[in-house]
Amino acid sequence: MILVNYLVGVVVFALGVAVILTRRNLVKIVMGLSLIESSGYLLLLSAAYRRGSTAPVLLKPPGGQSEQDLARGNVADPVLQNVCLTAIVIGVAVTAVLLVTVVRIAQHYRTLDADRVRDLRG
Amino acid sequence: MDPALLPLPVVLPIGGAVLAPLLSRLSPRAPMVVSLLALGGASAILLTFATDVYAGQLQGHAVGHVGPVDGAQLGITVTAEPFGLTYALLTATIGTLLLLYSLSELGGLGAHEAGWYACLAQLLLAAMIGTALTADLLNLFVWFEVAALASYGLAGFFLERPWALEATFKMMVLTNLAGFFVFVATALLYSRHGALNLGQLQHALTGNAGRADLVALALLLAGFGTKAGLMPFHGWLADAHSAAPGPVSAMFSGLMVNLGVVAIARVALDVYAVHRTALPGILLVLGPLSAIAGAALALGQDDLKRLLAYDTVSQMGVLLTAVGAGSLTAVTGFVYHLVDHALFKTLLFLCAGAIVHATGMTRLSQMGGLARHRPLTTAAFLLGTASIAGVPPLNGYASLGLIHDALRSDHPAAFVAVLLAQVLTVAALGRATYLAFFRRRDDEYDPLERTRPGALVAFGVLAVGCVAFGVLPRVVVNHVAAPAAAVLLDQNAYAAAALAGHATVTVTTPAFQYFAPEELLIAIGCIVAGVLLCGWYVRRPEPRSITFLRRLHTGSVNDYAAYSIAGLLTCAAVLLTGG
Repeated sequence: MILVNYLVGVVVFALGVAVILTRRNLVKIVMGLSLIESSGYLLLLSAAYRRGSTAPVLLKPPGGQSEQDLARGNVADPVLQNVCLTAIVIGVAVTAVLLVTVVRIAQHYRTLDADRVRDLRG
Repeated sequence: MDPALLPLPVVLPIGGAVLAPLLSRLSPRAPMVVSLLALGGASAILLTFATDVYAGQLQGHAVGHVGPVDGAQLGITVTAEPFGLTYALLTATIGTLLLLYSLSELGGLGAHEAGWYACLAQLLLAAMIGTALTADLLNLFVWFEVAALASYGLAGFFLERPWALEATFKMMVLTNLAGFFVFVATALLYSRHGALNLGQLQHALTGNAGRADLVALALLLAGFGTKAGLMPFHGWLADAHSAAPGPVSAMFSGLMVNLGVVAIARVALDVYAVHRTALPGILLVLGPLSAIAGAALALGQDDLKRLLAYDTVSQMGVLLTAVGAGSLTAVTGFVYHLVDHALFKTLLFLCAGAIVHATGMTRLSQMGGLARHRPLTTAAFLLGTASIAGVPPLNGYASLGLIHDALRSDHPAAFVAVLLAQVLTVAALGRATYLAFFRRRDDEYDPLERTRPGALVAFGVLAVGCVAFGVLPRVVVNHVAAPAAAVLLDQNAYAAAALAGHATVTVTTPAFQYFAPEELLIAIGCIVAGVLLCGWYVRRPEPRSITFLRRLHTGSVNDYAAYSIAGLLTCAAVLLTGG
């Protein structure tokens, strides 16, 4: 367990939340969400880490080991790595859709200020 | 029935989603045909499981893998059990109806637009069916995100009004934040227990809920609570559900909002239930809060669809109150009301959409006298209003009766709160009905477009559903709601189905008197009080309390995000200290 990784993850998350709560610029709000997502990726990779472990690759393992030996030995957790990849793909898709919407808002409202895009309220 | 067929109800709509835009080049009708076939196939497969499942025989299937290894389920498991099956069937059948309506009402769509609309709608429906059937936490997260992405596309699909863009952006920011919460919770639980399978997690959490597990629970509640519109996570809901056209709003408010409720019920009752966590208490506070505030906000709205959207917040509050109560009667009422809400909210939103589409008006203050121009829409809206008001013998009376019965003895404070919410709901919808349909309007309308056959079919089917689920409560309770409640309350049976692929649950039917004098008095009392409040409210300026509530809803995505974060931190603190 690398404690620094978790601390950095928390800091990145806090920065992302701070951006979302305080910035009125739509693009910056999207950037805040990306920061939050990044803290999640860091958390996952850190959780998958095992000291001295090898990569969880079961084809032609090194040093004369068999696949079964390797699988029962010390490997980084492939499930969390896969979860991270899944989240990255979803994050990219969401960010793309967010930015498309920001572009359309800018085209229509002629502003990127969230305070001037608040017709729906009350 | 072979449980290996269980992924098909999800695969079929996804296949339909791929084919719809491709085939739209051949014919403008192709997207509708493809969608109806895909969803019809999904419904048929789900129905083939219904007999055994509602008799208490649970089934499960591990996709891509066979059986647990050393007690660990490595594949993604889908289950057929009464609760998930109920939501899946509801989604598939009402989804079919909505697509039929949409591609009929929106006949002005080009083939290209119809294809993409059918694509997004089927993706959303597939994600909801997947949520209902999955017993894997990561898969639950994936379906959550697929539903979110499809709903972004649908919310912004028809840019009839610029505020659809605003609503879409808020929806994306807040729902994305919620998705992150679910994601981190998944990672925490997996890191700690090495399990993503809900059954395996249930076993792991038995007698061993640590602080990380409680933090994960708070994150799951915040994430799925956002989807369910639970206060204080609800800021986006009224904007998104009202900015879209009628059929999309109906899909959001009638079906998609249930995704969050279903997930919360699954987590609260089937995964964490064995712990004496503070979660039931949290639900018994936030549920009534949502119910009352949502109904009060609905009463204060001039926009018809926004009024209906806030009523959704209120109804979700009632449902989660029942989940928090957790007794057999409460959970049975919860399942029953989930189905009922889907029926009457879909009906109401379709009527509202038809009116807005025909008149070009969204504000109640502009409308009036539509009863003369739109008799069938008026009748359908009245039926939906009466259902939601709990008028016997319609469906709302039966399901609310169960919930009231459960809360009355065990949770009197929540009971009073839910009753107050009911009165406010009656007033809000009574006001909408009067202002839109029956109040005299000086100016004549421009000639209104004829109501299309697809709309009439949808109105008719949903209206029949509201009546049928109301006059046949014994059938619904015994064969649908009670089995679903039994599974939610028997987490060991659910865990066995998720891990081993089969389980049996004993179905116990709650004592239920349809026309119990107390419940009849409560229903009539709420209706009378609601009508009186409605009459008072129509003639008076807005009360200060409602003005205050409305001012809290600033329309700012920053503020709504702040409410969500504050809600998450509060729930985490309560869970950590209350355990």
